[in-house]
Amino acid sequence: MPRQIPWWIGGIAMSLLFYFSFSSFGANRPIGASTGVAYLSTILFGLDAEHYEYTAQIEKSGAWEGVMLIGAFFGGLFTSIFLTKSFHISFIPTLWKKRKNSSVKSRIFWSFIAGFLLVFGARLAGGCNAGHILSGGSQLAVSGIIFAIVALGTGVVVGRFFYKAKECKDDR
Amino acid sequence: MIDKIVAMFHIVANEGHGSVFVVLIIGFFFGAIIAYSRLDKFEKMAGFMIFEDTLVPRMAMTTVALSSVGFYFLVHFGYATFAVKPILLTGLVLGAFLFGIGLVILGKCPSAFFVSVSEGRVDTFVGVLGGMVGGAVFTYFYPNIKVWMGPDLGTPQLFDYFINHSLLVVLIFSTILLITAYFLPTIEFRDPADFKEKE
Repeated sequence: MPRQIPWWIGGIAMSLLFYFSFSSFGANRPIGASTGVAYLSTILFGLDAEHYEYTAQIEKSGAWEGVMLIGAFFGGLFTSIFLTKSFHISFIPTLWKKRKNSSVKSRIFWSFIAGFLLVFGARLAGGCNAGHILSGGSQLAVSGIIFAIVALGTGVVVGRFFYKAKECKDDR
Repeated sequence: MIDKIVAMFHIVANEGHGSVFVVLIIGFFFGAIIAYSRLDKFEKMAGFMIFEDTLVPRMAMTTVALSSVGFYFLVHFGYATFAVKPILLTGLVLGAFLFGIGLVILGKCPSAFFVSVSEGRVDTFVGVLGGMVGGAVFTYFYPNIKVWMGPDLGTPQLFDYFINHSLLVVLIFSTILLITAYFLPTIEFRDPADFKEKE
C-alpha cells in the first residue's frame, strides 16, 4: 500500500464524502469542525446550555461535529498505524525545525497560542476551513470566499515574518 | 462530564442528521482522508503558506471544484438543501484574521486537530488544549462579543448575483479551480520522518 495518496485522489475522495454528508442519503448537512471543538470545550469546562447562551445556540450543530470529530480521531489513528505507518510520539514538526527553531518549549508555547487563536477566530467568523472554505466554497457562499481570502492572506503575510526565510537552493 | 458526553450522542441520535453510526463513519473517513493525504501535517498546512508545499491548495481546490457541481445538482434534484453561513462582517473578517495567524503557526486546522493527535503529535495536543480554552473564552464572553460581530449581510451565494445563469456560474467557478489546481507547480516537502523505513 502507498504511504500517501496524491492531491487529486485526496480531492476526489473528499468530494465524494462531502456528497454523502451533504445529501439526504447521508447526514443532510455539510461537514464542519470548529463548532465541534467549541462544543467539546463547553463540556470540558462545564459551560452548560442552561447558563450560557452560546452553548445553547451551538448545541445541535456542535454535538454533530463533536461526534464526527471522534470518528475522525479513529480514522486518523487507523490510517497512521496501518496505512501511512507514521504513528510516533513527536514534539516538533520537521519543517518547524528548519524554518523556526529546535526548541520544544518554543513549539509548545506557540502551539497553545495558535490553538487558542484558531478556535477563537473560527468561532468569531462562524466557521473554520472545513465549514467556511471547503463546505462554504462548495456552496459558492460569499462568507466562505471572504473567509478564505482573509485567513489565507493573513497566514501568508504572518508566515513571512514569523519564520526564517526559505533556503533557495532546493526547489527545481 | 461523562453525562454530557452521553447527552452529545443523544442529541445526534435525535437530531435527524444521520444516525450516530453514520456520523461516526463520516468522521472516520474524513479523518482517514485527511491523514492519508497528509493534510494533518504542519509541513502541508503551514507549509503551503510559506511556499514549501502545494498539496493543500491543490487538494482543496479539487474538492471544492467537484463538490460545488455535485452540491448544485443534489439541491436542484431535491436531495439536499444549501446551508450557507451568514456574513457577520466584523466577526467574519476579524475571526478569519486571527484564524490565519493560528493556522500558519500551528499548522493544523480544527478538522485535523484530533487526526494529528491520533498520530502521536504532542504539540498538536497542546494546540487542541489552546483551542479548548479559546472555545471556552468565546462561549463565556459571547454576550459581550455578539453585539459587535455585525453588520449581518445575510447568506448570499455567488450565483445570487446572476440569477438566470446559476449553473453557468457554478461551472465557471469549478473549472477555474480545477485548472488552477492542475497547473499549480508540484512543490513537496518530503519529511524524512515519514520515509524512514523506505530510505
